[in-house]
Amino acid sequence: MKRAHRTAHLALWLVLTPVMFLILVLAVLNQPEAPNNETLPAVLIEESN
Amino acid sequence: MSHDYKAVQWTPFKKRFDLWLLAGIALYLIIFIIIGGLAQPPGESIHPVQTIIRATGTLAFLLLTFVLCIGPLARLSHRLKPFLYNRRHIGVVTFLIALVHSGLVIMWYHGFSDVNPLVSIFVSNPRYDSLSGFPFEVLGFVALLIMFLMAATSHDFWNANLGPGVWKTLHMGVYVAYTALVSHVALGAIQFNKSPVYVGLLAASAVTVAGLHLLTGMASRRTGAPANADGWLEVAPVSAMIDARAKIVRPSKGEAIAVFRDGQKISAVSNVCRHQGGPLGEGKIVDGCITCPWHGFQYRMEDGQSPAPYSEKIATYATRIVDGVVFVSAEPNPPGTPQRPSQIGGNA
Repeated sequence: MKRAHRTAHLALWLVLTPVMFLILVLAVLNQPEAPNNETLPAVLIEESN
Repeated sequence: MSHDYKAVQWTPFKKRFDLWLLAGIALYLIIFIIIGGLAQPPGESIHPVQTIIRATGTLAFLLLTFVLCIGPLARLSHRLKPFLYNRRHIGVVTFLIALVHSGLVIMWYHGFSDVNPLVSIFVSNPRYDSLSGFPFEVLGFVALLIMFLMAATSHDFWNANLGPGVWKTLHMGVYVAYTALVSHVALGAIQFNKSPVYVGLLAASAVTVAGLHLLTGMASRRTGAPANADGWLEVAPVSAMIDARAKIVRPSKGEAIAVFRDGQKISAVSNVCRHQGGPLGEGKIVDGCITCPWHGFQYRMEDGQSPAPYSEKIATYATRIVDGVVFVSAEPNPPGTPQRPSQIGGNA
């Protein structure tokens, strides 16, 4: 790779790595207690009950 | 090379590789579906379509992880070079598997509403402000779009028309796609499957890919000692130069230099291949020509020109041997300039 691309490659990973791991850690810490069905319409939930 | 490009360069080796790849994919899907069926918790019914969605999703993620590891790993071991030669094929196959996964997801989870399925991905779950309820499918869609762009432009036609610089910059988008994919899995599958095995596998994949790229990125920026007063850079003792291979020298200014040994001759050329900027110094000499490890582009040692009928040219460098140590000039000759090789055991 040319010097410019090597620099861009490293810069990109220096930005993406913390973003990736921040999301990963937050996602694990925020795992819901039970499967989350809040997005289902209330009518459907009542019907299934 | 520039003389011609074919739809797909199917060499017998590539055909064999692709057959093994397809066989491996089929085996993974069959094993996943069988185990998925057997391991189903009692009282829980998972439809075969859902099992296929999981199988293709995990496979696409693992393949992309592998594809992104090939480049850095091939620098550590020459044994991994065959994967490097076929990286494009694995990348395109990965996109196709991700496309099947996405197609099934759209049909299964968004195909039965009044809303356009593609619109439904973005609006059916509006919890963009939540972590555990984030519409993770959007991230998968973003990754798929980038992978489509990569797969569609993976052909040499685009490389030739966009130019290697633009093409390479464009294909760095795959790193963004991988980040989106890790986030897609973390905010999706990991929220529903709390098994530490899944979390561990995802974290291990992300650590491996990011770690390898950061390490190789930092290593490739390391420059050697500055040139001496005469403008010569020390390469290595002759005894350390392996036949048909190169030592890479990184001057403090300008591009890296690949210094090759071919029998008793030492020659130096630019380390940057004209095709896609591949590291020539990680390739070897085949049929008397320096051969790029990425796609096999070739250059003559003595003048940096591709053999006829091709027309690519790279810069050459003067070399000399003093007291058994190889030196290379820090100043490049114009691309294609003939440069007499240094003779081991002869005069510098």
